[in-house]
Amino acid sequence: MSTYRQGRSLGDRLLLVAVVALAVIWIAPIVWVVGLSFKPNDVLMRTTGGILFPPFTTKNYADILAASQVFAWMLNSTIVAVGQTVLTLIIASLAGYGFARTNFPGRSALFVVVLAALAVPEQAIIVPLHTMFAAVDLHNTFVALIAPRLAFPFGVLLMTQYFRAIPPEIEEAALLDRASRLKVFWRIVLPLSIPAQATLGTYTFLHAWNEYFWPLVSATKPAMYTLTVGLASMQTNFAQTEGIGFLMAQAVFAGLPVLILYLFFQRHIVSAVAGGPVK
Amino acid sequence: MLRRALMPLAGAALGALFATQAMAQAKTEITFARFFGACEGDYGTSQEVEKARGECGVMTTLVNLFNATNKDNIVVKPQIIEWGPYYQQLNARIAAKDIPAVAVMHTSQIGDYVRYVEDLDGAFKEAGIDAGDFTPNARTGVTVGGKIYAMPWDTHSWLWHFNVGLFKQAGLVDANGQPLVPKTVDEMLAHAKQMKEKTGKPYIIQATSGAGDFANGGRGFYSWLYDQGGSIFPNGFDKADFKTPEALNAFGVFEKLAKGDYITKGLDGSGGIGGFLNGIGAVYITGTWRIDDFLAASAKPGGALSEGYTTRVFPNLFKQQAVWTDNHSWVLPKGGTTPATRKAALTFMKFLWDHNFDWARGGGHLPARQSLMADYAKLPQRQFVVDIPSFGKALPHDVRRQFGFQNMIGEEVSNIINAGKTAAAAADAAQERSVALLRGR
Repeated sequence: MSTYRQGRSLGDRLLLVAVVALAVIWIAPIVWVVGLSFKPNDVLMRTTGGILFPPFTTKNYADILAASQVFAWMLNSTIVAVGQTVLTLIIASLAGYGFARTNFPGRSALFVVVLAALAVPEQAIIVPLHTMFAAVDLHNTFVALIAPRLAFPFGVLLMTQYFRAIPPEIEEAALLDRASRLKVFWRIVLPLSIPAQATLGTYTFLHAWNEYFWPLVSATKPAMYTLTVGLASMQTNFAQTEGIGFLMAQAVFAGLPVLILYLFFQRHIVSAVAGGPVK
Repeated sequence: MLRRALMPLAGAALGALFATQAMAQAKTEITFARFFGACEGDYGTSQEVEKARGECGVMTTLVNLFNATNKDNIVVKPQIIEWGPYYQQLNARIAAKDIPAVAVMHTSQIGDYVRYVEDLDGAFKEAGIDAGDFTPNARTGVTVGGKIYAMPWDTHSWLWHFNVGLFKQAGLVDANGQPLVPKTVDEMLAHAKQMKEKTGKPYIIQATSGAGDFANGGRGFYSWLYDQGGSIFPNGFDKADFKTPEALNAFGVFEKLAKGDYITKGLDGSGGIGGFLNGIGAVYITGTWRIDDFLAASAKPGGALSEGYTTRVFPNLFKQQAVWTDNHSWVLPKGGTTPATRKAALTFMKFLWDHNFDWARGGGHLPARQSLMADYAKLPQRQFVVDIPSFGKALPHDVRRQFGFQNMIGEEVSNIINAGKTAAAAADAAQERSVALLRGR
């Protein structure tokens, strides 16, 4: 290690300094948010500077925990995020494997249709989606919160590309040994795709956890609120001026589970952001 | 032996269980959709309405009190949603037939919802709510086509809040030490110039940069437009006209303030209110709901407002006093009640009606009841705003998407203040953008 340090070029050192500087710049607003969350709201009405100096308070967090349903909202978010993640992984993996490895009439056309769905903005389908779930009386259920997001074209694309990158010879050997296609998928291909599954799973979980608009219009009963909708419902009409500390505490509170998830899956998230699955 | 001893106990327990279930079944639950936030930490179980402060505090306490004291076994179940997307969610609920029994609604929105809410003329008589006690402003707000569609809850309006210390420093006070309120545009500009010369500070603080701040510019524009007797719909509601002399004048006031550097630039709501509390400018433009916050700040020694705070109605710089107003109100959405829950909903509305003064005192708005105005005027600073319901004005209910218009106009006002756009260019842009807002009405 010390040899490596001694061997660093000036360019490496400058790069390191730049990275550290950028990291500090990036983390400063987060530190500021955490700092503000421990300040009294009436103090923040006057100024949002001086987060390092007293007075401090834990009241903003106490107010969140005082909401009788806050843990129910957290549980709802967990059910939705986990459910959506697991089902998305199953569907995207099966679909991706189908597109990558099997031949059936219209495969290319169907793949194009799936890819075309990437270009459809959520706002364009929200009204028919809402009407559809209203027609079958499914609003205010976990089915309504989870199901619309399972058609996830990016996931299918990601898994298709990943499966295509796996050498077919590995599967051919198993097929020659008379293994069924499903067995090959389950025993050989799926374990090889775990890095891609982790990337897709992390991405899906984060998206589901942070989602606001669909839960807002679908889960209208407080008992069915997700954490994002529930926390937002607690904000007063003038929260941005008279309740800044409370807003910041909400941001920290909602972000904590995701932060914990990040600590576990850091490698895969970084890989996802970098644009490719971990190999 | 043991079985014999336990039998009567088991019987009693079963009896108690059935009795409890029967009582629970007799309860009538009504859903109550509203914004104003949730504050269980401070008011979760409180029933002391007189001690409640802020919209959230008063609303939460009133529901607690009603649930605890009503004789009809009615249970109000609040369904609280964030203010910003409240109407989007209400639309979705109406479409999905998941309709609340009682819902809060700005009267500026009632025109959009008139097909979806009950006409309440008969219901008020049934519930004992005296519509004759509505203030003129509240009555106009809840009436569409001669029928009443909501129970008015308040009037809220647009004010100038004064840092009296800075006005004294600038020599802009009368013999009683009260700030001089301009009566014309030229007089205002002269005051602003004097303020800047004597204190080095801008005359006006206005939040103009956050997404939630655009309403501010819209409300100021409307107020100065109405002061001239103007309208953005002089020729019917199918086409807006932002190029009337009155509309150009209203935009023009902001242009003159911006050109003289008499108004703050680039502040959001938080920066604006913090700026006023720290004395960065002399007048803060915001609503009736801020009076108590500023009174509390002025009571603290050593603060920027410690030399005095007062408020006045948004000043008339033209020919007649008028000012933008809106109202919170309560509606019964169609399909949200059964005959039993409808009766319960009306009982709850009557309870709210009886507590309208608590809302005005703690929530920071003007009452909707004329009979409460004398008492309201006795609250600190309220003598300066108590007449608003007699001259306050809003867009007619025929105008759809009123929040859309308010925000669009506010964005143009922000463009004038922050980006140096001319009044004429802002009027052109507003004219063009109004077409999209009116499309499909």
